[in-house]
Amino acid sequence: MKHRKFKIGFVRGSFFVALLLMVASWSFIFTVEGADFFGLFSEKNRQYTLEFLQNMLGVNAETPAFTSLESWKTAAKLSFDTLVMSIMAVGFATIGMILTVIPAARTAANGTLTLKKTWYGWIIYGIIRVFYIFSRAIPELIWAMMIIFIFKPGILPGAIALALHNFGILGKLCAETIEDIDLRPIRSLASSGAKKSQIFLYGLFPTVFSKFITYIVYRWEVIIRTTVVVGFVGAGGLGHQFKLSMSWFHYTEVTLFLFCYLILVLLVDLISEGMRRITR
Amino acid sequence: MQTKLLHFHRKNILTFVMLMVFIGSLFFVDWGKNLFHSGGLSTLAQMIQGLFQPDLSPEILQLALVSTWRTLAYAVAGMTLALILGVVLGVLSSGILMSDKGIGRFLSKSIFRGLLGFMRAIHELVWAWLFVAASGLTPFAAIFAIAIPYGGILGRIFADMLNEVSSQPLNALRSSGATRMQQLIYGYIPFAAPDLMSYVFYRFECAIRSSAIMSFVGLGGLGFQIQLSLQDLKYDEVWTFLFFLIGIVVIVDVWSQMVRKRLVA
Repeated sequence: MKHRKFKIGFVRGSFFVALLLMVASWSFIFTVEGADFFGLFSEKNRQYTLEFLQNMLGVNAETPAFTSLESWKTAAKLSFDTLVMSIMAVGFATIGMILTVIPAARTAANGTLTLKKTWYGWIIYGIIRVFYIFSRAIPELIWAMMIIFIFKPGILPGAIALALHNFGILGKLCAETIEDIDLRPIRSLASSGAKKSQIFLYGLFPTVFSKFITYIVYRWEVIIRTTVVVGFVGAGGLGHQFKLSMSWFHYTEVTLFLFCYLILVLLVDLISEGMRRITR
Repeated sequence: MQTKLLHFHRKNILTFVMLMVFIGSLFFVDWGKNLFHSGGLSTLAQMIQGLFQPDLSPEILQLALVSTWRTLAYAVAGMTLALILGVVLGVLSSGILMSDKGIGRFLSKSIFRGLLGFMRAIHELVWAWLFVAASGLTPFAAIFAIAIPYGGILGRIFADMLNEVSSQPLNALRSSGATRMQQLIYGYIPFAAPDLMSYVFYRFECAIRSSAIMSFVGLGGLGFQIQLSLQDLKYDEVWTFLFFLIGIVVIVDVWSQMVRKRLVA
């Protein structure tokens, strides 16, 4: 009964804290930041917005980018690069996740998964979890900003930045999956004398496989949306050209790239939906 | 048995294809000497050094604290609008306000689903860029840029939740003569609210990260400071700001997990 009370109390308290945060944030934005909401709808801004939209649609432009075959070819090439970048990113993240995920599961650390308790289990668990938190908490764009200092611009630094962020997310999701599986089949395998490798092959992987694929595919969908963003800081693909066109005021090219980006997102969503259906 | 075997094969084939596609993608990178900048590896060493010796001088800490608050404030404000957008568009795109049969439900569903899909297909930073180009550097550019894609996600999830509400209490309401609006307020929303709240809390963590990168288009916050310090090649300062970012993300993550555990249990 007491426990129940705490449950409600905590949720209610959180709700009030959230409400307080909202009030504080909005008043901060209106007072300290001096944001003027109605100023947004001034005549000048209306003019800017209208002009911007017209430029995007290629009104008044001599040769809008989306009417020239040459631009379409460039855009197609860039879209392909972007797709390759997203595949590499998801691949790197998956490799990192698979290498670390088993010791990162709580059930492995306390010995119930492998049926062998080691003194270093919890230490490795802690180290890997800290790595997950680190890589997850830093956004892709900031990873990309740092990595671009090390690698030359191209699709590889973009892929690495995306992989670093998604490694932490995939690791966390997949480790939780392993923690949640039914341990009985594994125990029965172990008691019938299976080796450690056999336990993993026959006990662990069949159970978690579908879930892992679902997570990987889900992250791929997110990654393809983010490729454009890491491109902003110089990591190849559509995003890079998008930024260049934006700074050169080639607005019709921006429209073309946005269009290609939307198509790419749609394509990946379709493929991933198909893959999910296969694993189901 | 046969179908099960086929199923197993399908999974193996899928894994194989995925692996091949990944290996194929590696061939598009020039793995030669052109991979690194000439000073790239020493930069990496400096970055790692900065990680262990972050700049903890009072001025930097104060700056970090202020930027953290700004990042948080934009995230909260964006999330508020996203919640409003998500609830309104979610209700409209679930089609529950329309009668079960007829073209109205279909139209409302497809139009608003399409709108939500468009809102979330474009990344928040691209939205921010478009807003800054159209209306200049105001905090609203950041707030709207968070609100639109997150509103799209929340709306989609909320619509799915509304459609999954069990039909028995709704039938009871309906048979006692409740209008569509009354069904929504007394039937659908009370059932879907806990799940929606827990999802909003989960998304809040992502919103903080998004808010941190809004700086990239010139809007203040943690990301802006990180960018400035990177341009000055002061990696120790970069890590100070990054630790603040990690700290706030972890705090919100733990908080949202605690709330979710109690809401959904």
